[in-house]
Amino acid sequence: MMGIDSKTNRSMMAFVVFAAALVLAAGVVPMLVDARPAREIPAPTVEQNLSGVDAPGWSDAPAAEVPLAAAPSGLPNAKSVSTDAVDVQAARSDGQLYLRLEWHDAQATETADDPQTFADAAAVQMPVDTSAQPAIAMGSQSNLVNVWYWSADTGTEELLAGGPGSTTLLGNQSVQTWAEHTGSGENGTWTVVFSRPVDPASDNRTAVTSDRDLDVAFGVWDGTNAERSGRKAVSQWYYLPLGPGPGGAPFESILWAVAGIAIVAVIVVTIQGVRRARAEGGA
Amino acid sequence: MATQENVALADGVDHQVAMVMDLNKCIGCQTCTVACKSLWTEREGTEYMYWNNVETRPGKGYPRKWEEKGGGWKSEERTERQPGEIPSSEDYGEAWEFDHEGILKEGEDKKLAPEGGKPEWGPNWDEDQGAGEHPNSYYFYLPRICNHCTHPTCVEACPRSAVYKREEDGVVLVDQERCRGYRYCVEGCPYKKIYYNAVSKTSEKCVFCYPRIEGEGPDGEVHPPACADQCTTQLRMVGYLDDTEGPIYKLVEQYEVALPLHPEYQTDPNVYYIPPFAPPQHSEDGETVDVDRIPDSYLEQLFGDRVHEALDTIERERAKVERGGYSELMEILQDTNPAQQYRLEVFE
Repeated sequence: MMGIDSKTNRSMMAFVVFAAALVLAAGVVPMLVDARPAREIPAPTVEQNLSGVDAPGWSDAPAAEVPLAAAPSGLPNAKSVSTDAVDVQAARSDGQLYLRLEWHDAQATETADDPQTFADAAAVQMPVDTSAQPAIAMGSQSNLVNVWYWSADTGTEELLAGGPGSTTLLGNQSVQTWAEHTGSGENGTWTVVFSRPVDPASDNRTAVTSDRDLDVAFGVWDGTNAERSGRKAVSQWYYLPLGPGPGGAPFESILWAVAGIAIVAVIVVTIQGVRRARAEGGA
Repeated sequence: MATQENVALADGVDHQVAMVMDLNKCIGCQTCTVACKSLWTEREGTEYMYWNNVETRPGKGYPRKWEEKGGGWKSEERTERQPGEIPSSEDYGEAWEFDHEGILKEGEDKKLAPEGGKPEWGPNWDEDQGAGEHPNSYYFYLPRICNHCTHPTCVEACPRSAVYKREEDGVVLVDQERCRGYRYCVEGCPYKKIYYNAVSKTSEKCVFCYPRIEGEGPDGEVHPPACADQCTTQLRMVGYLDDTEGPIYKLVEQYEVALPLHPEYQTDPNVYYIPPFAPPQHSEDGETVDVDRIPDSYLEQLFGDRVHEALDTIERERAKVERGGYSELMEILQDTNPAQQYRLEVFE
């Protein structure tokens, strides 16, 4: 009988350890490793200056790595794109929304002053109507997007689009950019900061409010690879957690922790019940 | 004005403006080139462009080896486009700078030559070289403008619909407001007749002098395109392909002696050429022999296999006139009446 008891004890211990591990894995590890749900780009409100690629405020905005892939397109060589990821930071400060994009580009192409050269470029896309996510490929006629476009050659443009091939310059341009290419070869990096007042300057412009999260998507063109137009590396929709929502990660972690503790409690109670029943049966 | 039902016009186009160039009259003087250049491409960023150029054939053309750079349709079904490439600035030939100021005014002791090193290529670089060996060398001149094609691949290539064929007369234009300088049209045109302006960051091309044919110039009168108007030998006829009483229709559709350049590109150009004749070959002691100086095979390469019939028709009609007979075709080809040569006010 003693043998059976000790075996029961051992398996009980194993259960407890397993349950404890579950709690740890579910609740604590995600908090330590990555506290964000997929496709979220934190957009904290920052006190310090964000105007510039190396502005001090950027140290307070965590970066999200956003994978990029060739945009589906009927254009020649559309599948050949150079850029596979862009690091994105977002922050709000002083009535402005700032987005900082950083990506690897071995060689900067900053002019298109020859028939065969194309300039590097990047863009941010967001819905005009933030309550409905538009088609990823530049929206549609019924669901428009704003595009903040920067080209190393021609500078900044604030565009409106309703589907591929429809970009149109908005009046009273209100997007500002700062850009810099550093290093070369493996260390070559473009950094571009976009900024626009959170309050839209006119109709057909995205209102950046704290009423709801903001969908954003990104595109990068490598001029050296003759990328332009629909031949580009693009992301899926991501979002800035600007709304009052559940707050994402911490909430989830708490839920998982509660669930883990509940499991442990159930196991402990069950085991105690079994032991008591056995003890009574044995007597 | 009668419109021929069986003339194939592009969808959504009311009439098709067209041009016939008689290559037998071209003396390679480049007056058309200069007329075009001084009217349209003396702006910043257009220095290297020749919307109208005259190239020596056989030769590499402008831009260099343009026939090897792709574009056009893969087949006559026109379901798939042939990939194309953008010519390099070297292929076009850079605009040369000359130090006129220094040499003429400041008395600098140097030769008047392009600044910045010895150029190795330029438009018309291989002028008059041609092919063949003495005494049977040969060449002819080929003036080229945009063909304002019925099935233009430049229009198809543009992802922004910035290149379009206008409804009233089928002139192909680049909307400078829509164009973002992507240059897919430059790749897509098999004739390489769209050019990128690196200053305006847009592409541009021959506009068939549309303000002139609309009578929108200072004198309010309708004029043919400047290249045609200024031509020393008046080798160009301008009108509408679907004007059945005009010379264009008769030369292209009725007598079939005016042919598009490289019909195999399947874009259906609306600039047509009367193929060139040359004196027959000579023997080494200078006797004329009954062999064509310009090989038929070369003309076929340029104008397709219909060229043989076109040459035969012209020869037959010419023989008729030589015998004292009347030939409407020969009358049209020799017409010096501007009202017939330029029929631009036939449609409302």
